[in-house]
Amino acid sequence: MKTFLARFDWLMLAVMLALVSAGTVAIWSAGSARAETVFHGMWVNNLVTAAVGLTLYFAIAAVDYRRTLDFLALPGYVVAIACLVAVLVFGTSVYGGRRWLWFFQPSEISKLFVISLVAWLFGRRRIPLLNIQVAGFRAFLLLAVAVGIPVALILAEPDLGTALTLLPAVAVMAFAAGVWRRGLAAIAALGGIAALAVLGAVYEAERPGVPAARREQIMRFVPLKPHQVRRVKVFLFPETDVTGAGYNLRQAKISIGSGGFSGKGIGRGEMNHLKYLPQSISMNDFIFCVWAEETGFVGSAVLLALFAALLGCGCRAALVSTDGRGRLLALGVSTLVFAHVYVNIAMSIGIVPITGLPLPFISSGRTFLVTVMCGLGLIQSVTIHREEQQT
Amino acid sequence: MANRAESSAGSLPCWVVAAVFAAGIVHLAVSLRALQVTSAADYNYASARQSVRRMQTAGLRGRILDRHGEVMAGNRPSLSIVCLPSGFEKRSWSNTVSAIERGIKEVGEAIGRPSPLSRMAISRHVSQSLALPLYVWRDIGERELAVFSEREREFAGFTVIKTAERVYPGGSLASHVLGYVGRDRGEIQSGDEKFSYFAPEMRGRSGLEAYYDGFLRGVPGEMKLLVDARGFAIREWTVLDATPGPDIATTIDLRIQKEVERQLQGERGACVVMDPRNGEVLALASAPGFELNAFVPTLSTETYARYIDDPAKPLLNRATGGAYAPGSTFKPVTALAALGAGHTADEEYICTGAYACGGMTLRCMSRWGHGPLDMCHALMKSCNPFFCNLGMTTGTNAFCRAARVFGLGSKTGLDLGVDRAGVVPDGDWKMSTYGEKWYPGDLAQMSIGQGMLLATPLQMAMVAGAIGTGSLVTPHLRLDAAPESRPLPFPESHLRIVRKGMRMVVAGDGNLRGTGWRGGEGVPVSVSGKTGTAEVGAGSSRRKNAWFIAYAPSDAPTAAVALVVENGESGGLTAAPKVCEILKAMFAEDGT
Repeated sequence: MKTFLARFDWLMLAVMLALVSAGTVAIWSAGSARAETVFHGMWVNNLVTAAVGLTLYFAIAAVDYRRTLDFLALPGYVVAIACLVAVLVFGTSVYGGRRWLWFFQPSEISKLFVISLVAWLFGRRRIPLLNIQVAGFRAFLLLAVAVGIPVALILAEPDLGTALTLLPAVAVMAFAAGVWRRGLAAIAALGGIAALAVLGAVYEAERPGVPAARREQIMRFVPLKPHQVRRVKVFLFPETDVTGAGYNLRQAKISIGSGGFSGKGIGRGEMNHLKYLPQSISMNDFIFCVWAEETGFVGSAVLLALFAALLGCGCRAALVSTDGRGRLLALGVSTLVFAHVYVNIAMSIGIVPITGLPLPFISSGRTFLVTVMCGLGLIQSVTIHREEQQT
Repeated sequence: MANRAESSAGSLPCWVVAAVFAAGIVHLAVSLRALQVTSAADYNYASARQSVRRMQTAGLRGRILDRHGEVMAGNRPSLSIVCLPSGFEKRSWSNTVSAIERGIKEVGEAIGRPSPLSRMAISRHVSQSLALPLYVWRDIGERELAVFSEREREFAGFTVIKTAERVYPGGSLASHVLGYVGRDRGEIQSGDEKFSYFAPEMRGRSGLEAYYDGFLRGVPGEMKLLVDARGFAIREWTVLDATPGPDIATTIDLRIQKEVERQLQGERGACVVMDPRNGEVLALASAPGFELNAFVPTLSTETYARYIDDPAKPLLNRATGGAYAPGSTFKPVTALAALGAGHTADEEYICTGAYACGGMTLRCMSRWGHGPLDMCHALMKSCNPFFCNLGMTTGTNAFCRAARVFGLGSKTGLDLGVDRAGVVPDGDWKMSTYGEKWYPGDLAQMSIGQGMLLATPLQMAMVAGAIGTGSLVTPHLRLDAAPESRPLPFPESHLRIVRKGMRMVVAGDGNLRGTGWRGGEGVPVSVSGKTGTAEVGAGSSRRKNAWFIAYAPSDAPTAAVALVVENGESGGLTAAPKVCEILKAMFAEDGT
């Protein structure tokens, strides 16, 4: 207990609480703008969820993460895979994706379990149970399989956003763990080239003045679903279809931009309250727009500072940890949070194509909030249990 | 070291990752700054452009008064039941329209009036001006208002709006002077294309309402409406109050106007009474007239069709827009032209009852001829051969010049939309209009005000007044307009001869009666005038337009009148007694 209090990262907790407060305010504002009364009380739900998440946070932080990993990494991973399979079979469809199983989204939880598994497997020089060198090619194959299965299942939902945030987290962990770096670099390069190729192909096909026949010819080679093609198109040509496919992005940018330096005041965002900002996503993927409109650049900067502090806590945990597993865990969770923050805000302002991704602590997603807080609990545990307990 | 050995990860990757995080956060911060600080104004504008609608509002229309301040056209409050679409918002537009339709039906049943709007009209309002109230029943009565107010709480989404409507206390009085208004979107002011909506506004369509429309309308105001993403109005506020239009005082004297219209009742014709000293039009009437209040709030299709199909053309302003052959009322002009060309008043001509010229014969009123006549007596008797001869010996050019001096053949400049120029024909005109040569017979015809010569009653009133005062005035209807006049280029001696002749038309000479003797009977002041009976058409459609022009008092005229009655008996029989009544009314009490 003494170590727990002495080594507890209070800054991280303070930042979390601040973020939960900001999120609650944003959810209240976005919810009150909606006609359906059920959304008016969403902020209370968020507080309740945050309370649950905080409880789990303290519980996870209190236990040595090594034990947690030993006990839970493998079984958790298996359960997560099972849930991902189950969601494809029994899941509830919302907005064209099968993501819900009973009361939670397995894809959100699976992120944490995949990260835990990778940390557990690759945190030491030799991989447990299999006794393989981490730096070797076989370890790389193992990583590919261990990560490939859940990613494939998540992509099948489809939930491109979750897959896209999970991959960088895993890549950072593999990089830090020293898994076959040349291979990693090659894959990263290939991924980058593939992404650029897709962008280039869509640009070539959707450029104004391209005949329909040629467009079809090109699009046959682009492995994207129609709605994804639309999003890429909006990203490439944001001003061409502002009433159709580009409407969301246009309204998102107007909301954020019109917030100005100091914002329009909490609860007074016009784009939000007059329903210009698409209602179906203003509480989730586009909640940053609500926050940025009402609090302005000052609020945006405060939010970014809070996230920076949170990520700083994660990096600090990774640095102070003497253990590879702890280091990987801290880096993995931090990267996951960073990927969400970066992609979510960047898509809201049109820097990256629109991807359905929640903003940690701010969006009103219960599963994700709990997942993130559990992940941060693991980081806290890494901070507290930085040295192996002499037992 | 044992731990180190077991660890696969060094601290370098942590720093690399931290650097990437920092770069990412900084990138976001820089991008957000560009959006929220640098381009904030652009996005603010974009935000306002989609959520704020500007509406131009109309000021209260100014009134039109007569010269004594009596209201000729005013405003009255009008109540309308309107529907506020935001109270009927449904997920789909067609359900919204249906909800409004049901609501209107419900209210309609309660107040006992059917819905005046088709589903199409409601649908159009929803798709085009959703943010504005939808006017359902305009100008409702007290009973409907009582029923509606009693049950207003049941009728959510409906309310009563007070607007102003035009009212004409005189009904059809001076209808052609006043003109009527229609409803229109407001005038688009330059640089204000950014208005999304224009409050329906009264717009003058004819008469003074049209001519002084811009003056009467005042300065438009501005309102802003905050609308949500679907277009429903959330809030509205006034940015700039509309300034009411100023009243306009006219030169019309309602007392005279009423008498004039009484004289024209049942006839087709026109009459203009003006002050020859300054050009003020005291009365201007065209018969038949039309009911001005029928145009408020909007003219029904049936009434409009009735007016348009009426062969009497009630909407036509005959006083300024009806071009008639002036007939013998033109003879004073002929006389002045002849005097200017060297003829004298004492020259005698022997009237045989007909004048032959170029193969045609012009008949005189007196079948067997007037015998020998001088100029004044020729005017008094309105002898055709005398003036044919006079015109023929004067020549076309001198003759047309004299006619144009009186403003014939050109617009009078009256501040009313309708202002016909009429025709003073000459060789060039005939060639360009009909492609025919100018024959001597044309000049003979014109000398007695027939043929191709055309003038409006207003122009003839100006002629009468100009002869009486010696200078031609520009007529005007606005009381504070500056009088404009120019002296006639005839020597006073010539004018005196013509005035004497015109006085004799009414007063006679000794035992001899003039053709217009009925024009002065019982009038307390001396009257000078000239009758005219213009024959128009040929064969079975041949009819006579009866004219009388006059000025009074003869020695210092304060009134000039021209009156024409279509299809009359003769100027002396039909028109002169009517002018007499008008003059009696004018000079009966105070002599103004």
